Amino acid sequence: MPEAVRTQTNEPQNILEMRGIEMQFPGVKALDGVDFFLRAGEIHALLGENGAGKSTLIKCLTGVNHKDAGTILLDGKEITPTSPQNAITMGIATVFQEINLCPNLTVAENIFVGRKEFKRKIINAKARELMQRFHLDIDVTRPLSYYSTAVQQMVSIARAVNIESKILILDEPTSSLDENEVQLLFAVMRELKAAGMGIIFITHFLDQIYAISDRMTILRNGRLVGTYDIGEINKLQLVTLMVGKDMENIFDLHPVQVAEDAPDTLKAEHLGAPGPVADISLEMKKGELLGFAGLLGSGRTETAELIFGANRPTSGKIELKGKAVVVKKPFDAIMNGVAFCPEDRKRDGIVGDLSIRENIMLAVQAKRGFLHPLSRAEQNELADKYIKALSIATPDAEKKIGELSGGNQQKVILARWMATQPDLLILDEPTRGIDVGAKAEIQRLMLEMCGDGVSVIFISSEMEEVIRCSNRIVVMRDGKKAAELTGPFDSETQSKILQIIAEGGEAS
Amino acid sequence: MSVKTEKRQSLLTRIMNPKYMMVYATVIIFLIIYAYGAIRYGKSGFTTLRTFVNFFTDNAYYGISAVGMTMVLITGGIDLSVASVASLTGMIVAYGYERMGISPVITMLFSMLVGIGLGALMGAAIHYLNVPPFITTLTGSFLARGICSLISRESISMNHPLIDQLAGAKITLYRLVNLQNWEWEKIKPITKIDMTVIIFIVMIIAGTILLQHTRFGRNVYAIGGNEASAKLMGLPVGRTKIAVYAINGFCSSLAGIAYVLVVKSGWNMALLGGELEVISSAVIGGTLLTGGVGYMVGTMFGVLLKSVIPAIINFNGTLSSWWGKIATGGLLLLFIVIQRLVVSYTERKRK
Repeated sequence: MPEAVRTQTNEPQNILEMRGIEMQFPGVKALDGVDFFLRAGEIHALLGENGAGKSTLIKCLTGVNHKDAGTILLDGKEITPTSPQNAITMGIATVFQEINLCPNLTVAENIFVGRKEFKRKIINAKARELMQRFHLDIDVTRPLSYYSTAVQQMVSIARAVNIESKILILDEPTSSLDENEVQLLFAVMRELKAAGMGIIFITHFLDQIYAISDRMTILRNGRLVGTYDIGEINKLQLVTLMVGKDMENIFDLHPVQVAEDAPDTLKAEHLGAPGPVADISLEMKKGELLGFAGLLGSGRTETAELIFGANRPTSGKIELKGKAVVVKKPFDAIMNGVAFCPEDRKRDGIVGDLSIRENIMLAVQAKRGFLHPLSRAEQNELADKYIKALSIATPDAEKKIGELSGGNQQKVILARWMATQPDLLILDEPTRGIDVGAKAEIQRLMLEMCGDGVSVIFISSEMEEVIRCSNRIVVMRDGKKAAELTGPFDSETQSKILQIIAEGGEAS
Repeated sequence: MSVKTEKRQSLLTRIMNPKYMMVYATVIIFLIIYAYGAIRYGKSGFTTLRTFVNFFTDNAYYGISAVGMTMVLITGGIDLSVASVASLTGMIVAYGYERMGISPVITMLFSMLVGIGLGALMGAAIHYLNVPPFITTLTGSFLARGICSLISRESISMNHPLIDQLAGAKITLYRLVNLQNWEWEKIKPITKIDMTVIIFIVMIIAGTILLQHTRFGRNVYAIGGNEASAKLMGLPVGRTKIAVYAINGFCSSLAGIAYVLVVKSGWNMALLGGELEVISSAVIGGTLLTGGVGYMVGTMFGVLLKSVIPAIINFNGTLSSWWGKIATGGLLLLFIVIQRLVVSYTERKRK
C-alpha cells in the first residue's frame, strides 16, 4: 500500500486545519469551538447525528456559510472561502448527496463544463480516460440522464477530482448506491487517497466508515466530541459517542409476537410483471413484520409497487384480508387498507411546499373522497396527535415539510399513512439518509404498529435493521424470491442472507 | 446497472444518440408532409425549387425571431415580448423616416439597440429579481406594444429607396446547362432568394455555432438542464441568462426589420400574437419547454413545417385556410406527446 510508505517517512502532514470554528444561527449555536484536522492522503469520516453540525462545518469550509469565529488553514495558509466557486479554486471540491450535474449534457460535458478544456474531441477523450480510471466503461457522449444514479454519482466525483483539488468532501455519496457500486466508489477513494488527496467522508452507514476510513471526528450538538483512529473505538462506542446515549438502549428492539391463528392480511400468488418481477408469492398474517432483503434492483421495490397498484401486475392475484381484490391503481389499494411509503422521499413522498398538517392529511382525504372534507378542527387534531405520537420535532403543524430534517420528514410520511389506519403498511427504505437516533425511532414505531395489528412490509438495504425487526425475511434476487427465512434470527442470519444473495441458492 | 455499456463509437451509435431524437422526429414529419404534397400536387408545381424556397420566405421573420427564442427556451425561460419588440422596431424605422426624416440605417441600428437593451433589462429582472420569465416578458410585451401605440396609432407606410433596395435585393438561382461552355440559365420557374431568407439562414448558422461550439452555448444548455447545479458548478449563470435575453431582443428587432422589408410599413398592431407562432415553431422543432434540449436545425425545420402545411392547403385550393391553424395545432400537440414519450422512454431505459 503506497500510503503506508508515506506515513513512515515523517509526521503526518495536516493539509487542513480548522480551529475554534464558531457559527451562530438565530436561536442556536450550530458550531461551538470545533477543531478539525485533515491529513494529506487520509480518509477522514465526519460523524454526528442530524443537527450535530457536520453540514454546517462543511458549509463553512466550502464558503456556503461564513464562520463567525475561528481560523481555517489550508496548507498552512489562512483562507476565507467566500463561495463554493471560490473554494473550488482553492482546491476544495465537494460532492453532494444529491447529484449536482446537468442531466441534459453528456457525461463528458458535465465533467468539463466551465473548465479550460472545451473542444468536444478533447473532452471526450479525457472523460473516457477519467471514467476508465474509475473502472467505468461507458459512452461519455451520451446524456447523463441516460445512466443510473450510481454512474451519475461517479461522474460528479470525476468532475470534482478532475480539478486540482487537495481536499475532496463526499457528503453522503453512498446513500443511493447498492453494494457493488459502493465498492466501486471505495476503490476510487483509495486511489485518490494514494495520490495524496485528503478526503472528508460523511455517511450514516457505520459499516462503510469502518471499511474505508483512517480516522474519524465526531460532533454532537455543535461541539467536538473527539477525533479517533479507526481502530481506537468500536461501533458501539462510536454510536454511544454520537448519540450521547447508550446504543444498547436505543436499539433494544425485538420483533412482535404473532399469534399462530392470526388471520391472513395479504396473500399474493404468483405476482409478476415483465422485467423487474417474476413470480412472487407472499403470505402475511395480521400484525406480522415481513422484511425484504436483497440488492438494489432485485425487485424489492417493484414487488411493493405491484401490491400497491403503482404498477400493474400482468400475472397472479392478490387477496387482502381473505378477499380477492383487483388493484389497478394506488387508490384501489388505499381503499383496501394498503399504505405505501415510497423509497425516494423527496420525489415520491413529501410535498415540500405544503405544511406538515397538509402532508399528513393527503392520504386520509383521498380515502374519504373530496365530498367529505375534513374540517379544519379535525385536521388540526389529527396533525397534533401524530406530531406528538411520533415526536416530530417542529414548533407547530403549519411549518413547511421541506424545512424539516430527513428523519422528521419520514415521520410525517409515516403519520400520513398511519392516519389512514391501514391493515398493510409497506415501507420502502424508510430509514435511508436519516441518523441513528431517528432510525431507531422509526423502527420502534414500526414495531408498535405491528403490535396494534398492522402488517408491515419493511424494505431496507441495511440488513441489520431487517434482521432486528422482522418476523420473517424474504430474500429477493433477480426479481424472484430466492429464499424465505423464518425467525427468530441470530448472528448467523446476515451471512446466510448474503450467501443467498451472492449464490442465489435456496435456503435450508 | 448500466456500467457495462458499449463503448465503441460506431457511426450508428453516434447518430442514434438519444439527444438528437427530437430533431429527427421533426425532420421526418416534415419529410412525410412534403412527400405527401409532392405526390398529390407534384404536377401543379409542389416539387419545384421555387415552392421550396417559398417555405423559407413565407415565415422568414418568424424564423429569425425563433433563433433567439430557441436559446431562451433552452435556458428554461420563455419570451412573450418578441412580436411586440419586432413591431416596435418597424414603428421606429417607419416613423423615424416618414415623420422625422431620419435615415433608416440609423433607426435600424437604434432599434437593434432598443431590442438588446430591453432584452437585457428583462433578463436582469428575471435573474436578479427572480421574477418568472413569463410575467417579466409579458410586461415587456405590453411596454413595447404601448410605446408603439404612443408613437402612432395608425399604420405608417414607408417609401425609402434603401428599404426598396433591401427588399428588392434577391439572389436569382441559376443552373448549369452546358458543362463545356459553362453556360448557365435561370431555373424555371424563376426562383429568387429574398434578403429576409438570407438573414434567416445566416442567423440559423450563427445560432448553431454559438450554441454548439462556444462555452457560452454549453453554459446555456447547462442552465436549462439544472440551474441550481450550473450555479454550483461555478458557471456564470446570471451573465449567461442576461446575454440570452439580450440576444433574443436583438433577434426580435432583426425580425422586425425583416418584417418591414416585407410589408414596407410600421403598425402598432403588427404581428399581434406572433410570439406564439415563434414559440410553437421552436417547440415543433424539438425544443423542450422545460429547457435543456433544443437545436437550431430543429427550429429551422419547425419554421418550414409551419410553411409547408398552408402550402398544401393552398395547392388543394378548396380547403379553408383555417385548416392550416388546425393542422398546426394538431402538430404541436403531437410534438408535445412525442417529447413526453421520448423523455419517459429514456427514463425507463435507465431503470
